[in-house]
Amino acid sequence: MLDVAGKVSAEKKIAKGFLDKFGALIGLILLSVTLTLLTDKFLTLDNLMNIFRQSSVNCLLAIGMLLTILTAGIDLSVGSILAISTMLMGIVVVKWGMNPILGMAVCLGVGAFFGWLNGILLTKLRLPHPFISTLGTMNIARGLALIVTAAAPIAGFPYMIQFVGREFIGPVPISFLLVIIVYVGFHLFLTRTATGRYIYAIGGNKEAARLSGINVNRVLVIVYTMSGLMAALAGLVMVGRVNSAFPLAGLSYELDAIAAVIIGGASFFGGVGTVWGTMIGALIIAVLRNGLNLLNVSADFQMAVIGFVIITAVFIDVLRQRASKM
Amino acid sequence: MKRLFIIGLILCLVWFTAGCESMKEDGRPKVMVILKTLSSQYWKFVEAGAKEAAKKLNVDVTIVGPSSEAKIDEQISLLEDAITQEPDALVVSPSQPVTVIPAFEMAKKKKIPVLLVDTDADWDDKVTFLGTDNYTAGKKGGEQLASMLKPGDKVAIIAGALGNTAMDHRVKGAKEVLQAKGIKVVAEQPADSDKEKALSVMENILQKNPDIKGVFSANDDMAIGALRALEARKLKIPVIGTDGTIEALESIQAGNLSGTIAQNPYQMGYKGVETALKAIRKEKVSKRIDTGVDVITRKNAQKKMNFLKGLLD
Repeated sequence: MLDVAGKVSAEKKIAKGFLDKFGALIGLILLSVTLTLLTDKFLTLDNLMNIFRQSSVNCLLAIGMLLTILTAGIDLSVGSILAISTMLMGIVVVKWGMNPILGMAVCLGVGAFFGWLNGILLTKLRLPHPFISTLGTMNIARGLALIVTAAAPIAGFPYMIQFVGREFIGPVPISFLLVIIVYVGFHLFLTRTATGRYIYAIGGNKEAARLSGINVNRVLVIVYTMSGLMAALAGLVMVGRVNSAFPLAGLSYELDAIAAVIIGGASFFGGVGTVWGTMIGALIIAVLRNGLNLLNVSADFQMAVIGFVIITAVFIDVLRQRASKM
Repeated sequence: MKRLFIIGLILCLVWFTAGCESMKEDGRPKVMVILKTLSSQYWKFVEAGAKEAAKKLNVDVTIVGPSSEAKIDEQISLLEDAITQEPDALVVSPSQPVTVIPAFEMAKKKKIPVLLVDTDADWDDKVTFLGTDNYTAGKKGGEQLASMLKPGDKVAIIAGALGNTAMDHRVKGAKEVLQAKGIKVVAEQPADSDKEKALSVMENILQKNPDIKGVFSANDDMAIGALRALEARKLKIPVIGTDGTIEALESIQAGNLSGTIAQNPYQMGYKGVETALKAIRKEKVSKRIDTGVDVITRKNAQKKMNFLKGLLD
């Protein structure tokens, strides 16, 4: 009897592990199949490439967000950092007529700087939670983005800067190739390097990580700097996509990024989550939006649907936490 | 299992929403209208016009827009996804004109004609631009204000944000008429289409020019803000706005705002679809279509109000 019970629970465990691991992927596949049945425009090469393009900004924001969430933190400032870094790039390149490569360096540098600032506020000023420090920088960066041109957008970027966000290699958008490269890089970083493993360790148990000799503050600063850098990279893609930089760019995008990470199976409590899960999370959001657009569902309704998906994804996370504690 | 259950629920929701707005493929010409947003009054008027045209002209019209005007790249995604559906024509009102050009190029590759409404974009391959002639609107505003004043009177002009060309044209039109009638424009300041900002801008103007006899504002919100500054000083002078918002009409009926030059968002929607149909049939279409303005005063404010309120129901 005992034997049978043990076997059943083991099978259950395997099934549960499988769902934990591939639940988001199954969701993405089911969603895609449904949309293919509902509209013949969904499963076309053009449309799939559209989805990849539309998801690439969120994919880049979400990878930075994943790092912060892995440490049981959060980064609310990514949307604003996207705006300020592209606005300053616009000023340097369009208004001052400087070299586009320098402009891109400014963009990434500004992003990294604001990320670093988030890290310093958290570790040196010891603000109680990254929710607070990044909420502060979110407002500062957005305010600055509006101030620098008195809220006017900047258009007329040179081709070299628009290249990444706009061009294709064959049918594949370059922005999505960039996403793949970045994701492979972060996968290797998180699984093969000491710092990467420390990130998981800090999220699992910050105190234990500190006691085992990990320089927690240093790792946290690295994490937030990378998140800022990724936000700036997302901005670079966005500039090519919308042909301009504008101060309200990325408004409330942090929420989509958080949603992607959570739908992708990462835990809000830290220590759990993968790069590929996050990508699937971002793709689920993009496929959902694209599909609802193709079905001509109104924007208001879409907001409600996405909200529903976020709540259910977090609910699953809560259930999982509860189950693992029992 | 719970995860699967929830995924199932989400799919049901998608089925359900799709069912609500099921696709019609019935051989009628298909026009997709992409607006700046659908969640504000002005755009609801445009939507109402487009819907009426769809009914009268038997066109399959789909109207979409992002959740707010600030969601610029959401509008681009909508535009890209509309192009994927290969409609016979696109009618677009870009939130930021430069942002839509790459998507327009995609439409051009698929040979889908593109029409612009309300806001123009600098793109040579568009079929037409349908919208208010802002210079004329400004002139009519200037005439209206001048009719309530006498030569030699001083007036102030509240302008839009720097670089807002639509508002610049309105200001230019108003200024030319006022000056031609011998009225002095002693102040011209931007208030960024913002009510609060217009209030403080007007206060500053009054500090310097307490003997102002009239105000022209490049939009209604700013006119109402300026009105508050005048009320605070117990000054009763004519104020003319532009746009024809419901709030402005109410103010006119209450005897506060003297008048407004109303745009015709309903006509933009209606003529947008009508002209798209012409483009689909390869008929000749003018490159610029004026959707007209109406001078609204206390005499006809009620009528306009009834018309607009009827559209919102």
